[in-house]
Amino acid sequence: MGYESLVNQNPLRVLNLGRAGTQLGLVMARAGLGKTALLVQIALDSILRGNRVIHVSIGESIDKTKVWYDDIMQFILHDYTVSKPHELIDMVARHRMIMTFKEDAFSRPRLEERLNDLILQDIFRPNCLVVDGFDFENADRATIEDLKDFVESMSLQAWFSATSHRNDDRISPAGVPFPCHEVDDLFDTVILLKPEKDATIQLDIIRNNGVEVAADTSLKLDPSTMMVKEG
Amino acid sequence: MKRDLTKVRNIGISAHIDSGKTTLTERILYYTQRIHAIHEVRGKDGVGATMDSMELEKERGITIQSAATYCSWKDHHINIIDTPGHVDFTVEVERALRVLDGAILILCSVGGVQSQSITVDRQMTRYNVPRIAFINKCDRTGANPYRVTEQLRDKLNLNAVMIQIPIGLESDMEGVVDLVSMKAIYFDGEQGDKVRYEEIPDNLKEEAEERREELLDAVSMFSDELMEAMLEEEEITEEMVHDAIRRGTLSLELAPVMLGSAYKNKGVQPLLDAVNMYLPCPTDVENIALDLDNDEAEVKVSNDPDDPLVALAFKLEDGRYGQLTYIRTYQGVIRKGDTIINTRTGKKTKVGRLVRLHANEMEEIEEAGSGDIVALFGVDCASGDTFCAPGLNWSMSTMHVPAPVISLAIRPVDNKAQANMSKALNRFTKEDPTFKTYVDHETNETIISGMGELHLEVYIERMKREYNAEVEIGAPQVAYRETITTRADFNYTHKKQTGGSGQFGRVGGYMEPLEEGEYEFVDEIVGGVIPREYIPSCDKGFQASMEKGTLIGAPITGVRVVINDGSFHAVDSSDMAFQQAAKGAFKEGYAKANPVIMEPIMKVAVEGPSEFQGAVMGSLNQRRGMIVGTFEEGNYTVVEAEMPLSEMFGYSTTLRSLTQGKAEFTMEFSTYKQVPKSVAEELMKKYQEEKNEG
Repeated sequence: MGYESLVNQNPLRVLNLGRAGTQLGLVMARAGLGKTALLVQIALDSILRGNRVIHVSIGESIDKTKVWYDDIMQFILHDYTVSKPHELIDMVARHRMIMTFKEDAFSRPRLEERLNDLILQDIFRPNCLVVDGFDFENADRATIEDLKDFVESMSLQAWFSATSHRNDDRISPAGVPFPCHEVDDLFDTVILLKPEKDATIQLDIIRNNGVEVAADTSLKLDPSTMMVKEG
Repeated sequence: MKRDLTKVRNIGISAHIDSGKTTLTERILYYTQRIHAIHEVRGKDGVGATMDSMELEKERGITIQSAATYCSWKDHHINIIDTPGHVDFTVEVERALRVLDGAILILCSVGGVQSQSITVDRQMTRYNVPRIAFINKCDRTGANPYRVTEQLRDKLNLNAVMIQIPIGLESDMEGVVDLVSMKAIYFDGEQGDKVRYEEIPDNLKEEAEERREELLDAVSMFSDELMEAMLEEEEITEEMVHDAIRRGTLSLELAPVMLGSAYKNKGVQPLLDAVNMYLPCPTDVENIALDLDNDEAEVKVSNDPDDPLVALAFKLEDGRYGQLTYIRTYQGVIRKGDTIINTRTGKKTKVGRLVRLHANEMEEIEEAGSGDIVALFGVDCASGDTFCAPGLNWSMSTMHVPAPVISLAIRPVDNKAQANMSKALNRFTKEDPTFKTYVDHETNETIISGMGELHLEVYIERMKREYNAEVEIGAPQVAYRETITTRADFNYTHKKQTGGSGQFGRVGGYMEPLEEGEYEFVDEIVGGVIPREYIPSCDKGFQASMEKGTLIGAPITGVRVVINDGSFHAVDSSDMAFQQAAKGAFKEGYAKANPVIMEPIMKVAVEGPSEFQGAVMGSLNQRRGMIVGTFEEGNYTVVEAEMPLSEMFGYSTTLRSLTQGKAEFTMEFSTYKQVPKSVAEELMKKYQEEKNEG
């Protein structure tokens, strides 16, 4: 593929996103703390490994979602040496498709129908699915299990974002807050984004590939760029 | 008579195809008494709406050219420019937006914000035009103004706030509730002439209160007085709210949303009131000119009628009486008999007839003041020229003109058609800067180029009808480009020294890809190895070479040429010699610089029922498209893709048959990208064959 060096330098490598098999990941944080930025970086990491990503954005437009990718690509090109930047940008565009839904228009059957349209017509065969903006508050466990089954049946790696709230302190034994406190066992990887006193945002990796993680795995989001940095 | 500028409104009406612009404009003209009868746009009664003065427009049911008209409403003087919604006529919309101060953005209450509404809104933002949104066709089945208001927020990023709510929708539409005065408004009489104010119906009182709260929350940030009254729970007067809405609208941070059905004569008069109350007068808008005598320093035009004249010519029409030039005055007064200067050409002109415009009718006037839109006769100029009083040398900034992306060859069927075709092309190119024509010297064919298939189709049709010039058309050609991808050195000697005076020049250096821009020439010659006087000739030679590449004869773009070596002969070197040397050097370098062919890539948005989404994506994929994304909303999906223009010809027919006519698409230029190898090989093969034949 040619971008191994970028992949190897990516701080997200601790998540071992390249491992085979399906997995369901969850990124949680309060509003505005970088969930979308992190999901986009996870998606880009997947693309650099040669995968194709469907980025589902619920309640957002295609253009706005695209701007996230454009901005983060610019930061990557700024921080790392790439011999042919235009080729990389082009490659990313070809390996990513954005699907946006109005809040009330998203459902597993609809998503399945859309993905099948793409696969059956040989238009786009995704390996990775990112879902940003899913309404966990109004979804019951059965719905999440259904989505998990769907992801597994399509042999996809999938990442979801969920928004937690300051004024609801319900939390699961593993430390996953409302509204995912009762479904966190369904996820193989769970990352919480927490604001620190120095204005950085800490990635608190609660679980990685089904294994509970020690507290000293340290990744942060740089608040000026929303890029993941080590330490 | 000096008009009070605060009571002048120069507005445009912009929107998507078929959202009812022309019907709305006609209703406005009727209610302001500019016309005395209402005619339906689609010509059911055989007459057609007043604004669509061209036959073709009436027949197709689409508006092609912008038309200007003026009217008065409650002691305000309003100049309205009606503009086409189809993306192929973007230059008309851009021109209108350049000279207007405010706009009405019309949306269909069923279709909502569609692709063209997005393009038009982007244009309005580019020219900082405050707007009022009017959700039309609320009498249609499926009308949902609330959903459309959401779309204005989501898709256009506007702070859209409803200032009315409907009384009934679809066939039950009766009127609107005005949330500022908290009154119900009904439109009585056969043509809705009589506006009646009543108490809000009981079943709508609660909703009206809620929506009013939302309105007040949204606009209070624009008025300290209103904010204070709300916090102190004091009386909130209508004036306070109107003032806040106006401030928000003028600052471009608010878009008031109104509703109605122009066809059913509902909602138009309140819209006119809103134009008076919320859209800017000429003095509310800052317009900048460039002082050509002062290195193009920016200067503000004053809007003062006592200052020297500054006016912009924004539309030309070649009619029966000669050239009609539409102008917008920005300061000063223009009078019949005055001498004015075209600051682009320096030419002086005497103002002959001065007219005020109505669609297809004219009214002679003696003078027009700043902030006005009028027309002059018999003035030779181009669209975008600035006219000033003698002594002032300013230019209004030039309008943004998109480059044409498609061309085709046309052949007149006989000699008579040839003469008429020339006349027609002469007129069209003067009127429309995005429509270009030239003769291909190799094939001797006349080539026309424009913004899209429809753009060219309309001109071909007009040539036939208005000029009796029937033409045969060739296959559409895409505007390819060539560029280089690597750096390459050159070192070329041009020598002709066979006795007598000869030619000699040597040019050395390199060329490399230029990221931004078309061409750059860098002179790094030291020690006089090429005399200073011949350096411009080198530049000239390189530029001449850029006109036609060696791969397929397409213009070359994105090249930086650096010269750092050379030699000359005391006798035999000349401008011509170095031009030739540069051309040879360019050719040498170009061959080594890995040149490639580039094609225009269009941003295409296809909108239609979700059931056809799969088929639509397949059709785009088959045409070398790259699907960027999809947007789902209820039963409708929009598919966005980047498509090579060369693959889009005839797509409308394909789409129509795939989707039973229920889907439509828009297309606008995005960027140039390298063509795939197989396409490049085919293009080069074809080019070689044509060269060999010729």
